[in-house]
Amino acid sequence: MSIQEKVSSLFRDNNRVAVLVFVLVIIAPFGYSVVRPVFTQGSSTDEVFLDIPDEGECVRETAYMRYHHMDLLKEVREDVIRNGIRGEISVNGCRECHTYRGQFCNQCHEAVTLHVDCFGCHYYPESPEDSVRLESGGHDE
Amino acid sequence: METAEAAVPEQTLATGGEPPCARSAVTDNGRPVKIEPDLDFIRAVSVQGAESFKKCFQCGTCAATCPISPDVHPFPRKEMAWAGWGMKDRLLTDPDVWLCHQCNDCSTRCPRGGRPGEVLAAIRRESILHYAMPRFLARLMNQQKYIPLRLGIPAILLGLALLFRDRLGSAMGFATTVGEDIVYSYSPMFPHWLLNSFFGFFSLLAFVAVVVGLVRFWRAMTAGYAWWGEPKVKKGILASIVATFRKVITHDNFTKCRARNSRAVAHYLLFFGFVALTAVTLWVITGSVNPIIREEFVYPFSFWSPWKILANIGGIAVLAGCFLMLWERLTDQPNAGFSLFFDWAFLWTLFAVVLTGFATEALHYLRMVPHRHVAYFIHLVFVFSLLIYLPYSKFAHIFYRFAAMVFAERIGRESNGASSGQEVEPR
Repeated sequence: MSIQEKVSSLFRDNNRVAVLVFVLVIIAPFGYSVVRPVFTQGSSTDEVFLDIPDEGECVRETAYMRYHHMDLLKEVREDVIRNGIRGEISVNGCRECHTYRGQFCNQCHEAVTLHVDCFGCHYYPESPEDSVRLESGGHDE
Repeated sequence: METAEAAVPEQTLATGGEPPCARSAVTDNGRPVKIEPDLDFIRAVSVQGAESFKKCFQCGTCAATCPISPDVHPFPRKEMAWAGWGMKDRLLTDPDVWLCHQCNDCSTRCPRGGRPGEVLAAIRRESILHYAMPRFLARLMNQQKYIPLRLGIPAILLGLALLFRDRLGSAMGFATTVGEDIVYSYSPMFPHWLLNSFFGFFSLLAFVAVVVGLVRFWRAMTAGYAWWGEPKVKKGILASIVATFRKVITHDNFTKCRARNSRAVAHYLLFFGFVALTAVTLWVITGSVNPIIREEFVYPFSFWSPWKILANIGGIAVLAGCFLMLWERLTDQPNAGFSLFFDWAFLWTLFAVVLTGFATEALHYLRMVPHRHVAYFIHLVFVFSLLIYLPYSKFAHIFYRFAAMVFAERIGRESNGASSGQEVEPR
């Protein structure tokens, strides 16, 4: 009896069970989307989006930055590393308004499961505690 | 094509108390029929494997061995005779043709090497082409030489949509892309208003064509089924629909097949994968207006979002089902059945849809630009060709088969599971 035949006869004898499994799989996210808000009252997915500082002006307009910030950063990286042109835009410059990457970068990137490469080299405090640590010279005590 | 000899009074033929099967399948309510073969139809059905109806000597092995054939006037024996005599009207109005799942239990046991499974498949194909609206489109799209046209139309339409996206968007008051640079995320490439209105419009056209086809088919079945006496309505329409849904979902009939039982597994995977993908799609499209949804959809979804997980599971199921079907059709031809362009076109399109879908997803996570946009475009072309050709492709079986099963259920023709099929050793 080949594997194919085994699977076939298994399905033949248990087709109702197999169907039930798939029906449950399909229903699961529907149930989840209805049940979850009951347990997580008040929290909305809107929170994913970062706060935009009231004051100051970004290097590009907000709508552009929302979709193209990664292109801009790549361009700048190319200019600095390959062409030796250090312009006005830098990761440190971002920090002047967007103080912590926990709110500024991670929230969105975690929500969409996209890894951020920037902080393999650049330091960018994740939270206010991180920032205190930086000012005290990296000592915890 | 057939004319009842009205001169013969019914009483002379129909004796009292006879079983209904005593009336031959080539009588009209007990009266003899003058057969006028439709040669064009015979030629159309005589495709690969199906021309074997010429070998049939009406022994009835096929009908006896079929586990899902009804007891009275069982298929596929009578269809084999009708095909040989070119009785187009009978075959195109016959719900039995659609009760067959082509497991080929009959084809592997025919003592003459005939292939009733293929014959019924060929008749189903002719039915879809016959009831399609417009008919020329169905003929056109099911020829191999028109593959460029088949894929070219969706590509051109989608290209035009991309070209006029910004102008259309500003005219209709939708925000479109920002900046002059290359488009990065999918959302600005095909904004949702564009995707929904574009696919919505063409899906509506396809839906209208399907409804017209179904109405034609239902009327034809009702009119054409008089040959074996008054069709007696045994079940209400609602009860028939519920019973049919039950059969479709559980795959109860499908799993009775023996010669190619793995077809049931493949179909089960494909069916539920497709249902899962459709469910996610509908849920997402109606997300902003659906009262049940209390959370907002934020694009793109996280990989671990329950919707994304369901869509990925569904995609994998369709991929696995498609792979199984294609593999069997390519490697195990006598058992799996011979395939026409009609079959290949549907299966490969579906396979391409899921494959390009996963390619798009992978390229998205790999952040490969512009590869992922190209993959996405190709994906949409295949999705679009699957949708707009639904009434003209094998995909239409979901509607025609459902209608025929409801009809059969309604007149008490569906096998009730107490199978007449006998375990017969294959030839």
